[in-house]
Amino acid sequence: MNALHFDSLVWHWPIAIYLFLAGVSAGAMFFAVLLKHVCLKEQAYRSGFVQAACIVAAVSVLAGLGILVLDLTKPWDFWKILVFYNPTSVMSMGVLILLIYQVFMYAWIAVVFRKPIEEWCQPRFPIVCKITTMLAKYEAGITGLLIIFSVSLGAYTGFLLSAQPRFPMLNNPVLPLLFLASGLSSGAAASLLGGVLLKGSPNGQEVRFIHRVEIPLILGEIFLIFTFFMGLVLSGGQSKVAALNAIGEGFWGLIFWFGIMGLGLSAPLAMNLFMNATSKRKFSYVAGTACLSLLGVIMLRNFVLYTGQMVVS
Amino acid sequence: MENSRRHFLKSTCALVAGVSVYPLSRDQANADTGIRINNLKYAMLHDETKCIGCNACVEACREVNHVPEGVTRLSIEQSGPYGKYPNQYYHFSRHSCQHCEDAPCVNVCPTGAAFIDKENGIVSVNADKCVGCQYCILACPYDVRFINPVTKAADKCDFCRETNLKQDKQPACVEACPTKALVFGNLKDPESELVMLLKANPTQRTKLDLGTRPKLFRITAKQGEIIL
Ligand code: SF4
Ligand code: SF4
Ligand code: SF4
Repeated sequence: MNALHFDSLVWHWPIAIYLFLAGVSAGAMFFAVLLKHVCLKEQAYRSGFVQAACIVAAVSVLAGLGILVLDLTKPWDFWKILVFYNPTSVMSMGVLILLIYQVFMYAWIAVVFRKPIEEWCQPRFPIVCKITTMLAKYEAGITGLLIIFSVSLGAYTGFLLSAQPRFPMLNNPVLPLLFLASGLSSGAAASLLGGVLLKGSPNGQEVRFIHRVEIPLILGEIFLIFTFFMGLVLSGGQSKVAALNAIGEGFWGLIFWFGIMGLGLSAPLAMNLFMNATSKRKFSYVAGTACLSLLGVIMLRNFVLYTGQMVVS
Repeated sequence: MENSRRHFLKSTCALVAGVSVYPLSRDQANADTGIRINNLKYAMLHDETKCIGCNACVEACREVNHVPEGVTRLSIEQSGPYGKYPNQYYHFSRHSCQHCEDAPCVNVCPTGAAFIDKENGIVSVNADKCVGCQYCILACPYDVRFINPVTKAADKCDFCRETNLKQDKQPACVEACPTKALVFGNLKDPESELVMLLKANPTQRTKLDLGTRPKLFRITAKQGEIIL
């Protein structure tokens, strides 16, 4: 079987990129909220990492939606997804989550960057200041809902693939958790990368905080991947065939062992432990580790999407 | 303050969980009440022991339903030959939409373009509502859906719902079959040929373990080979 073209393949790599971007956005927003509440408080808007997280979250969710639309066979009819809803469809509910998520995302960004926004708008558009003041009153609610919706968005990327009976490897209850965890860590990585590029200090408290959270997150991901494949193998039948086909020999087996487990998870884990232990944090270390994590998550999305569609129940 | 925030978070979580689970449970409950309202439920039987693999059904379908070249709503899959010359034979089995009672394609479609006609149990596609996301093609365990290259919408067998059935005729494939291997009828009518045959013969449906409750029945021909 050709690794990239086979009969049962329905969804190609654009869907993997879409899932990746949605996960990055959810993760970046999640960590932006954490950074503000745990380390930075009112000074959050000054941090290059929070700025990067907000830019990454806003851009990637839009880019993801754009890819989703372009991948339709009738891109000009995409508005029908927004008009007609089907409560049993994960895609339909996901689009709803995506839209509500964006509302809270922009609201939260407006609250956090209130100071610079108000300074700039006061002389020009005083009306904007009224809106930000009003939003600031509901900051707790906005933050809470943003967290709920970003976690939902991260999990949705997995549910989209698992909500069908045809492919046993995808129809797996661990998949949403795995995609949520890897989405969060890709969001963290994107914020770190963006943050150091925006002249944030590679040894700042933000980096130290994210690295501390990332270590258990990566360990959790490895555990989830283990559970994912263990569950498939123990279910027997086509699930077992699918699992062994995916992580066995061949192109995708190589991607899994070297790309995902090696470069995407073990290497960043080792780098994080090293940087925590030695407190040596240089631009190149932080950026390199973040790039590896992002690459790993892109590979994971493609790996699951393609190998998942290889074996039919 | 701390307390009210926690309360707020808790109740929102409960709300989100409730909203996401409710439609699923409701759908299950409706599945059976729907059956009682009317007494029309179409199904099909393919008698593989009678099928000679002539593909007349495929051609008739293409013509009646204007199915473009390169795609098809049904195909006859051939395997074999089995046995020794001169007593060789082939296996033919029909590959087309099974009109699942609990249809994955309908459940996943974001716009409701894939739907079940409550009047008669036919699973169909509203090409206008379809955006071409291909989620239904991914979800269908029987691999029978395709994108129609002309309409760009998902397409598949609809038991000639838009064509022959509207003219009170049998589906095109059934009319065309020279050996009467295909039987179409109403499962709710105990006098129908279909129900008589289903009661009198051992029949099979595929992938029942997925819970799709398909309505394409088959009388299988002798195996010819052993697959473990
Ligand atoms: S066989 Fe496929 S297309 Fe037909 S109703 Fe079942 S899931 Fe839908
Ligand atoms: S391709 Fe069309 S019919 Fe199929 S799920 Fe998407 S919108 Fe629905
Ligand atoms: S027309 Fe009848 S005999 Fe010929 S292939 Fe179709 S089902 Fe078989």
